[in-house]
Order: sequence, then structure tokens, then C-alpha cells
Amino acid sequence: MPLLAPSSEDTRVYEITVLYPASISQKEEQQVLKEIEELLKEADAKLMEKDTWGKRGLAYNIGGHSEGNYAVFYYDMDPSKLKEVDEALRIIPNVLRHLIVKPPKGYQVVKFSEEYERWLKTRETDAERKRREKEEALQKRVADKAKRQVKRATEQKKDIVEKITPIEEEKLTQELEKIISDDEITL
Amino acid sequence: MSHQKQQRRSDPRLKQCPFCEKDAQYIDWKDYPIMKPFIDYFGNIRQRYYTGVCLKHQKMLKTAVERARFMCMLAYRK
Repeated sequence: MPLLAPSSEDTRVYEITVLYPASISQKEEQQVLKEIEELLKEADAKLMEKDTWGKRGLAYNIGGHSEGNYAVFYYDMDPSKLKEVDEALRIIPNVLRHLIVKPPKGYQVVKFSEEYERWLKTRETDAERKRREKEEALQKRVADKAKRQVKRATEQKKDIVEKITPIEEEKLTQELEKIISDDEITL
Repeated sequence: MSHQKQQRRSDPRLKQCPFCEKDAQYIDWKDYPIMKPFIDYFGNIRQRYYTGVCLKHQKMLKTAVERARFMCMLAYRK
């Protein structure tokens, strides 16, 4: 990762990001980028890094556009000309948004166009992992349920066995009483 | 029935700041995967109390999220 440092003491590194719609033709797209570059050339800015992200979905609609292209430039330029550049960027047609940020000291340029794709891949694996964990939890629950059912079944059997014996005892006592109370038997 | 494990929430004061652990000097507004866990479904920034972010990094996070919102990477309100 390249580290940015201003070439002289009078200049600073600025990060200029431009958002333009994805639905415009390639010609218009190149025109927009050329205009921006010309504008910064007029301001005596030196291009240090460039990162174009490609087509991205927008979080909300801007002027009826739901998809846009991002372009990130790192320019080394005089701070006194920043205001002019900022105002001029606002006037360029087909630029939806622009943002000028002063990166902190020791800022390392990260190519987010590549980073984003890598993240998309890892995110898919994350989703898979979540699904797998969910399935494992479900299987565990099913196994627990089966175990519990087996346990309950054995308990019920025991209960039945226990239930049978007292009834027999009662019957025995009843029969015994019958025999005892029977008058026909004489000893 | 099998006895359930008693769930206990960890003490919020013991939470470590996830940015301090990485020794982050700056939170980049372009880094969506880093900001994502600190934003809820509606696009609001999660409170420090729940995420355990320290005040220094919460302020950085705020500027990063606001920049990302302006540049249409994050929604203001979903």
C-alpha cells in the first residue's frame, strides 16, 4: 500500500471522491472524468493515486438514479485553491456528489475497488457459515427431542407396570373379602 | 424437561473497544465492511453502550458514517 506524502511544505494531499450516475453513456463518463482532471490541472494539482470503483448500487435515489460510479483521486495541491476546486466540482454536469477529505497523517491508500470484491466473497462464506450453524442447532434440537421421547416412553412403561400391580392388589383384597364374607363356606 | 442454561449478559463495562484492539488511528468512510456492524437495520449508528466503542473511536465512526451517508453508500433512513 502506497503511503502519501506531500511533495513540498506548501501543498497537501487531498482525497477527492466523485459520484456520477451509472446510466450515462461511456462518452459522457469519459467527458466527466476529463473535465475533473482538467479542472485540477488548472489548479496545479498533482495526481498521486486513482481508484475507480465501478458500478455500485446507491443507498437512496439521487435525481432518479439508483446506481452510480465512484471515482477516488488523491491529489497533491495547494490548500488555497481548494475552495475553487470545490465550487467548480459542484458545477460540472453529471456529477451527483463530490467529497473532498483531508486524509490523516500516515494514511495508507487502500484500493477499495479490490477490497470490496474480496469482502463480497468472504461475506458469502459468512452467510454459509451462519446457515451451517443454524442447521447444526436444528439437528441438535431434533436429537434432543428424540432422546427425550425415548426417555418418556421408558418412563411411561414403568408407570404402566406400576399401575397394573396396585389394581391387582385391590382385586385380590376384594376377592379375599368376598371369600371371607361368603356365608356358604363353612369351615 | 431438560433444565435450561441461565443466560447472563456480560457486564457492559468490561467490553473492549473493537477499534482500540486493532489500534485504529482513523476510520475510513469508504470501508463499508468495518462500519457495518455499528449500524442497525434502520441505518442509525448503534449506541456506544451496546457496541463497547470508546468515545474517541465513536467520534471517528460518526464522521465516517456521515461522510458515507452523504456519498450515498449508507442510507440516512431505511
